[in-house]
Amino acid sequence: MMENPYVPFLMRVEEILAETDDDNIKTFELSFVGKADEERFVYTPGQFAEISVFGKGEAPFGMASTPTSPGRLAFSVSKIGVVTGELHRMEKGDVVGVRGPLGNGYPLESFKGTNLVLVGGGFGFSTLRSLTNFILHDSNRKDYGELSVIYGARRPGLLLYKKDLEIWRERGDLRLHLTVDKSENGWQGHVGFVPDVARSVAPNPRNAYAVVCGPPAMIQFTLPVLKDLGFGHENIFLSLEMRMKCGIGKCGRCNVGSKYICSDGPVFSQQELSHLTTEAHG
Amino acid sequence: MRQLTTDIRSMARKLLQEKKVQVVIGFERGSMPLRSRPCFVRKEEEVDRLVWDGFCENTLAAYLPKRKEKTAIVAKGCDSRAVVELIKEKQVQRDQVILIGVPCRGMVDRSRVEARVTPGRILQAEEREDLLILKGSDFEEALSRSDFLHDSCKTCTHPNPVLHDLLAGESLDEKNQDSFSDIEIFDAMTPEERWSYLSKEVDKCIRCYACRNACPLCYCPECFVDASLPQWIGKSTDSSDTMIFHLMRAYHLAGRCVACGACERACPVGVDLRKLNRKLLKDVKDLFGYEAGLCLDEVSPLATFRPDDPEHFIVNP
Amino acid sequence: MSSPSKILKKDRLASFLERLLQERQVFAPVRKGEVILIREIDSPSQAVLEYRNAKESPKSVLFPQRETLFRYRAEKGKAEVDIPSGREQGRVVFGIRPCDARGLLLLDKVFGGDCRDPYYADKRANTVVVSLGCANPNPACFCLSMGGGPCSAEGSDLLLLDVGDRYVAEAGSEKGTALLEDEAFEKVDEETVALAEKVKRESKASMKPVALKEKLEEQLERLFNDPVWKDLTESCLGCGICTYLCPTCHCFDLCDEAAGTTGERIRVWDSCQFPLFTQQASGFNPRPTVKERFRQRIMHKFSYLPETQAMPGCVGCGRCVTECPVNLDIREVVTSLSEGNAR
Repeated sequence: MMENPYVPFLMRVEEILAETDDDNIKTFELSFVGKADEERFVYTPGQFAEISVFGKGEAPFGMASTPTSPGRLAFSVSKIGVVTGELHRMEKGDVVGVRGPLGNGYPLESFKGTNLVLVGGGFGFSTLRSLTNFILHDSNRKDYGELSVIYGARRPGLLLYKKDLEIWRERGDLRLHLTVDKSENGWQGHVGFVPDVARSVAPNPRNAYAVVCGPPAMIQFTLPVLKDLGFGHENIFLSLEMRMKCGIGKCGRCNVGSKYICSDGPVFSQQELSHLTTEAHG
Repeated sequence: MRQLTTDIRSMARKLLQEKKVQVVIGFERGSMPLRSRPCFVRKEEEVDRLVWDGFCENTLAAYLPKRKEKTAIVAKGCDSRAVVELIKEKQVQRDQVILIGVPCRGMVDRSRVEARVTPGRILQAEEREDLLILKGSDFEEALSRSDFLHDSCKTCTHPNPVLHDLLAGESLDEKNQDSFSDIEIFDAMTPEERWSYLSKEVDKCIRCYACRNACPLCYCPECFVDASLPQWIGKSTDSSDTMIFHLMRAYHLAGRCVACGACERACPVGVDLRKLNRKLLKDVKDLFGYEAGLCLDEVSPLATFRPDDPEHFIVNP
Repeated sequence: MSSPSKILKKDRLASFLERLLQERQVFAPVRKGEVILIREIDSPSQAVLEYRNAKESPKSVLFPQRETLFRYRAEKGKAEVDIPSGREQGRVVFGIRPCDARGLLLLDKVFGGDCRDPYYADKRANTVVVSLGCANPNPACFCLSMGGGPCSAEGSDLLLLDVGDRYVAEAGSEKGTALLEDEAFEKVDEETVALAEKVKRESKASMKPVALKEKLEEQLERLFNDPVWKDLTESCLGCGICTYLCPTCHCFDLCDEAAGTTGERIRVWDSCQFPLFTQQASGFNPRPTVKERFRQRIMHKFSYLPETQAMPGCVGCGRCVTECPVNLDIREVVTSLSEGNAR
C-alpha cells in the first residue's frame, strides 16, 4: 500500500486528442515523471485514478489506456467543471498529479475462458476501451472466448476512440456493433439505441459475462434486455459512478449502501448491487 | 397558554377537516424539558400533538419556501413578518398559506435557564402566567419568565402577527421600543475595534450553516458559499473565509431580515450574529426609514430605488 | 478482568499535569466564553474537570477541521509537492468523557485499515487518552444503549473516576499503565475501590435505556424505501450541527487553496447533510432532499458501519440531541425505525 495515499505523483502531458467534434471530450496521454512511480503503477482495466490539477483540485477518471501499453496512461476527460475545465486548457508538457490506481477493476480471472459482451454508451465507454484492448492484446487474447462490443453515442461526432474503432472493425477476433441515436452527414452505420442493438445482437448467455457501462438511461433499458436473453445477475457487471473525493473509502461520500464505489467498486455485479440499498446512479 | 394550545388545535382541526389545507405546521412537545419543536400535522387525529408554550422558539416560516402543499402555519409576530417578506419575494403565494397568528409573549432562552440550574437536574418545566417553574427530583424553582427570554424577544417591537388569517389569543400591547443601544455602542467603536470584536466572534464559527438554514429568508437554491464556478470562499474555518461568509450573509439579508433571532438560537457555539444583522437593520432604518416585514405593499429599499435615496457616499465620498 | 488501578488525590492533579506538559502537548476541556471546548492547554489551571461534556467532540485533536495534506508549487511544465513533516511531540487528550474516547475507536478503524491515513494515524500513535468517567450522565446521554457506558474504559488508556477528594485511575492499556508510574499516583485501597464501584453502578442505573430492539440493522435495510422517512425528517434544516459535533462523524472534502503558483491541498470537514455533498458534475444528485441525506446518516451509523467496521457509528454522547435546533432526536428516530413503523 502507498505510504501516503493522499499525495499524488507527477505525470506529464504528452498528447491531447480531441475525441468529439465539439471538443468537449479530450483524451490525455500522460508519461511518468518519476521512474519509480511508473514501476509502482500496476493496474487492470476498470480501475481509475484521481488526477490533480494543482490549484484547482482533483477529479476521478477511468483508465482509458491498457496495462499492455506501458509507459503511458490515458484518460478521457469531459469538460464539465472546475478541474476538467482547467485540464482542457492544458498543453503538451504541462504537469499534473495522479493518485492511483484506485478501485477494483473488472474481474479478469472470472472472465477467463468465457465469452464477453461489452455494452457501452457515450462517455462511459472509457474503461471498456481499456478492457477491449487488453483482451485483444496478443498475450491475452487466447485466455478469453468470443468478444462482442456494442458501443453507441448520441451522434457520430460524439463517438470516442475512432482510431481504435477502425482497428477493431478490421479484426476477425471480435464483433463490433456501433450505433448512434441520431445520424449525421456521411454516417453509414447503424442508427438506433444501444439496448435495441443489444436485443438484436442477442448474445448467448451460456458461459458468458456482460459488462454494461454508460448513462443511467442506457443501463436502465439494457439490463432487462440481458435478463430476457438469459443473463443471470452474477453474470452482469456494471461500473458505477458517484461523486468521489478521497478515492480510498474514507471521506464518506461515494457510498451506495455499505459499499464505497471508490474502494469496493466501481465494478459490481448486478448480484452484489441487488443487496445494496439503492440510491445508485449507474 | 393552555387556552392558546386548545385554540390552535381546534383551528387546525377545522382547517384539515374542511380540507382548506393539506398540512399544518406548528409546534409539538420536544423530547426534553424546555424544548418544543416544529411538527407537521396532516391528519385530524394528530392535531392534539400541537402545543403552544414559551419554548416554541423556531421560526416556522423557514419551512415555507418551495412548499407545494396548501399550508397552515402557526405564526408568531416574527414568523408573520418573515411571511410578508417571502410573499413580496414571491417565495410564497398568499393564497397558498393560512396564518394562524399567535401574539407572542416571547420565548424562553434555555441557555440562560441552564446557566442558572444544571440542565441534567431539570425533569420538567412548565409555565404558569409569568412564571417558569422548573422541577427536578430534589428541587422546585420558580423563575420569572421575563428574566429568561431570548435577546431577540426582549427587543421585539411587533409581537402581534402583522398578517394573519386566524388569530389565537388576544393581541398584546406593543409598547416595547427598541433603542438599538447595543448597536450605538458598536457604532461608537473605531473600525479596528469593530473588526477585532467581529473577528473574535467569527473565530468561534464551525461553518455548520445552521444560521443560514434556520433563517426564513435564506432560501437560495445555491448559496454563494457552495458555488464552485467561481468559488467565492473556501470551505474551511479559515478566519478570512469565515468572516466573508458572515458579512456577506448579513448583507444579503440587509433590508430583508425581520430580526426573528433564529440564526442566533440555532448557532451551537454562540456567535453574536445579532450584532451584524441588527447593525444592518438599524442602518436600513436610518438611511431609508424602512423596516422589513411590516407591509406587503412596501418594496425593500435594496430591491428598488427612489430619486431621493441618500447618495452622499457617491457624490461626496 | 483486573486492570492496574491507583489513586490520584485531587491536590496532586496539577503537578501531574505539569509533568505531562513538560514533554507533551496536552489537550483538555477549557472554558471559552459560555462553552466548554477541548483545546490545548499550557498550564494545569486552564483545565476544567467539573463539567458535563464539551460542546464539540475531541475528534479535532486527531482529525482537525482543516489540515494541510501537502504544499505544492506548480508552474508551466513543472511541479513540486512537499509533505509537511509530522509533529514529534506526543499528545495527551485529558479529561474527555468515555463516550468520546470510544468515538476515537471508530475513527481508528476508518482511518486505519488497509489504507492507512498517516495524518490521523501518526498523531494517534503518539496520543494517550485519559478520560474522566461520568457520575451524573445527562438525560440526553445514551452511551449505554450504544455499547458503551458512563464509566466505560473502552478507548481510554487511563480512566479517572471522581470519588470525592480523589480519582480512582484505571489503566486500560500499556500506555495507561506507564502513566500510573508518575509520582502523583498512590496505591489504591479497598474502600476507594468499593466507592468507585458504587459510583459506576449508580451512574449506569441513572440512565434511561433507548428502546432499541436487536433487529435494528435488519429493520433499517427493510425500511430503506419506506415513506416513514419523510415524516421522520421533515423538520430537519439540513445544517451540519449534528455531524460536526459528533465524535464519530468523519466525512471530509479535499480542496486546493492556491495563491498564485503555490498552494496547499487541504482536507476539511464536510457533511453528508449538506445539499451538494453527493452532487455530481452533471448536476445529478442521488440525494436531492433532506430525506435522502438524513436517511444516509442514520443508515451509515446504524447499518453500514456495523457491517463494515463491526461497530455502530454512534457512541451515544447526546450532542446531536441537545444541539439540534429543531430537536430532531436521533434516539426517537432509531427507536421508531427499530419498531418497524413510523412514530
